[in-house]
Amino acid sequence: MNPALARSDALHERARAMALAFERRLPPPASFDSLASDLARFQAEHVPGYARLCAARGVEAGSIQRAADAPAVPTDAFRIARVFAFDERFAGVTFRTSGTTLGARGAHSMRDTRTYDTVALAFARAMLGLGPRVPVIVLGPPEEEAPDSSLAHMCALLSRELGVVETRDAYFVRAGALRVASLRDCVRGLRQDAPALVLATSFALVHLLDEIGGESLALPTGSRLMQTGGFKGRSREVSAPELRRLLSRAFSLPERAIVSEYGMTELSSQFWEASSVDEHASPGVYAEPPWARVVPVDPETLAAVPFGTVGIARIEDLANVDSAFAIVTQDMVRRVAGGFELLGRTPGAPPRGCSIALDEILSDTENVP
Amino acid sequence: MSDSRERRLSSIRRLLAAADRVYESRHRFSASIAQSTALSTEGVELGFGYLERSASDAELTALIAGVSEAAHVHVILSANVFVAPLRALALAIATAPKVTVRPSARDPWLTRALVSELEGRCVEIVDERRVASLDADTFHVYGRDSTIAAVRSEARPGTKVRGHGAGLGVVLLTRAVEADAVAASIAIDVAAFDQRGCLSPRLVVVEGTFAQATRVAESIHRELGAMARRIPRGRLDAEERAESRRWTDTISFAGRTWAGPEHVVGLGPEGEPPALPPVGRHVQIAQVSSLEHARTLLAPTARFVVAVGSNDLDRARSVVPTHARLSPLGSMQRPPLDGPVDQRPG
Repeated sequence: MNPALARSDALHERARAMALAFERRLPPPASFDSLASDLARFQAEHVPGYARLCAARGVEAGSIQRAADAPAVPTDAFRIARVFAFDERFAGVTFRTSGTTLGARGAHSMRDTRTYDTVALAFARAMLGLGPRVPVIVLGPPEEEAPDSSLAHMCALLSRELGVVETRDAYFVRAGALRVASLRDCVRGLRQDAPALVLATSFALVHLLDEIGGESLALPTGSRLMQTGGFKGRSREVSAPELRRLLSRAFSLPERAIVSEYGMTELSSQFWEASSVDEHASPGVYAEPPWARVVPVDPETLAAVPFGTVGIARIEDLANVDSAFAIVTQDMVRRVAGGFELLGRTPGAPPRGCSIALDEILSDTENVP
Repeated sequence: MSDSRERRLSSIRRLLAAADRVYESRHRFSASIAQSTALSTEGVELGFGYLERSASDAELTALIAGVSEAAHVHVILSANVFVAPLRALALAIATAPKVTVRPSARDPWLTRALVSELEGRCVEIVDERRVASLDADTFHVYGRDSTIAAVRSEARPGTKVRGHGAGLGVVLLTRAVEADAVAASIAIDVAAFDQRGCLSPRLVVVEGTFAQATRVAESIHRELGAMARRIPRGRLDAEERAESRRWTDTISFAGRTWAGPEHVVGLGPEGEPPALPPVGRHVQIAQVSSLEHARTLLAPTARFVVAVGSNDLDRARSVVPTHARLSPLGSMQRPPLDGPVDQRPG
């Protein structure tokens, strides 16, 4: 066997072992820093760009002992370069970001989704606190309509692994259209003595609220609603507290049963609000699984900022074995008790001239494919 | 030429004479401009060199012929390079007998100086920010798209709003280029206004091999290093430094960077689309195999491209967007005074 593949397999095994230990409520089989430093060495040897980044930052990958010492890959790199330890023919799946005016979409390739699936499922189960199988309703496209969407993959995974047989095909966005009548029938057909799970994008929920007006789509007691993603110009913008309040009323759910998920194409792990399983958890605070963490950093120096200070999100995800375990985003975050808060995107530099700003180009939607 | 045109031509000539007087007394404003623009003192002096103080009759005739006449133009200046108010006022004078102007709140110096020096008082400063309360029939708005959109939404019904938005400069080098022969000219185009102008090149597209693109990168790196010793870069604010860090790390991952104390040159992966660099003397080199390839590469950003500099204007003309100003290298920041810098439909 190719030695690089063997090393990758072993690292994947260690990442999955962390998720399995978490599910069994066992201590992690390895320290975060131990796996992180092994990942940094592997990625520096097999992802050519990472070796160049380490060199440019003056970091010797072989000497990295802590996750924090490893340079983080900007998410922009996924758009203009290959961030993958192997030849393209080894890519079993490639998730892509949405398009920008500049044309290229970010690509995150994986040999297969076993590690992705294991960690996603383990943390979702923990954050939802539902029984083994429940009816699942998805307000998002099915995987076959969005084969390169990591979100569609995650929803399909959760639907398949958490859902009862009767709702295996319960997708209510088809060909880009929200099927409100079918959804209404589905909700009315739910048994009232068994909780259900709704997985939805934020903009689909806003469209739904606009469609149903004041109508109630009451879910059974104990149900959960997971919302994710921003609005991306696809619906009117609604503040998080307001959306939570409107959803609570529409679905007859307590606000704590409505949880947000934060993930991105460039990651294998996700972060969830814990409010439905932890009475002390605050809405708007995202919890991290033991194999991933979010570190607010200074956007210029990339050094961690003090607790409670706003920085951009450096995300260390030990399940990103064959790509980049440390990435840096343009999302602003702040550490608080119980996790971190998500505070939107960095605003970009204010213009001092007429040279176009990067965020002005990237936010232009006229030419987005 | 009609009386009206003669009068406008005369007014623009008086404006150029005012610019000449402002230029001669520029030491009075240099420190304030350096403070508001974040340019170094040497950068301000370089910038003053781009202030239009003369123009041929043919250029001014073209300038006047290109406008739609109005009774009263109100000019709103926001984000722009510090010498830009002159062309903005020239366009307004060419358009209407009555001109009022709201200077940039952050960088009002040159506008106020020009109006003060202008004989005949044909331009008046009006600092009013409530657009709906102004009785101009035409607005010339310089700033970001969001600023232009805000003025459009607030202006009285029937008012014309001509927007001059933000843009991007690009250099296109054809296969025949000698890197060392053009690098100094590119460096001066980059250094002017620390790349904060829409004529400033941030992307250099090189037709040829990857090795040729590498030589271009090395040459520009060398010239920008020398430039920094003569004309130091001004200060970058925290957000600009953050964008620099992000872009530099991205290109370090994707390709290769050459970093000096006050600049970074990056060479992206062979044939791949560029990661557009931030302002502040950052240049992305992109290699293409043919001019057709260059056209494809530029297509996603074509509507933002205001200026193109090239070593071969004839060949470049077939590739660049029709609205873009095409200039020899080293002259990208000196378009003739024959119309707006930004020739995209407003």
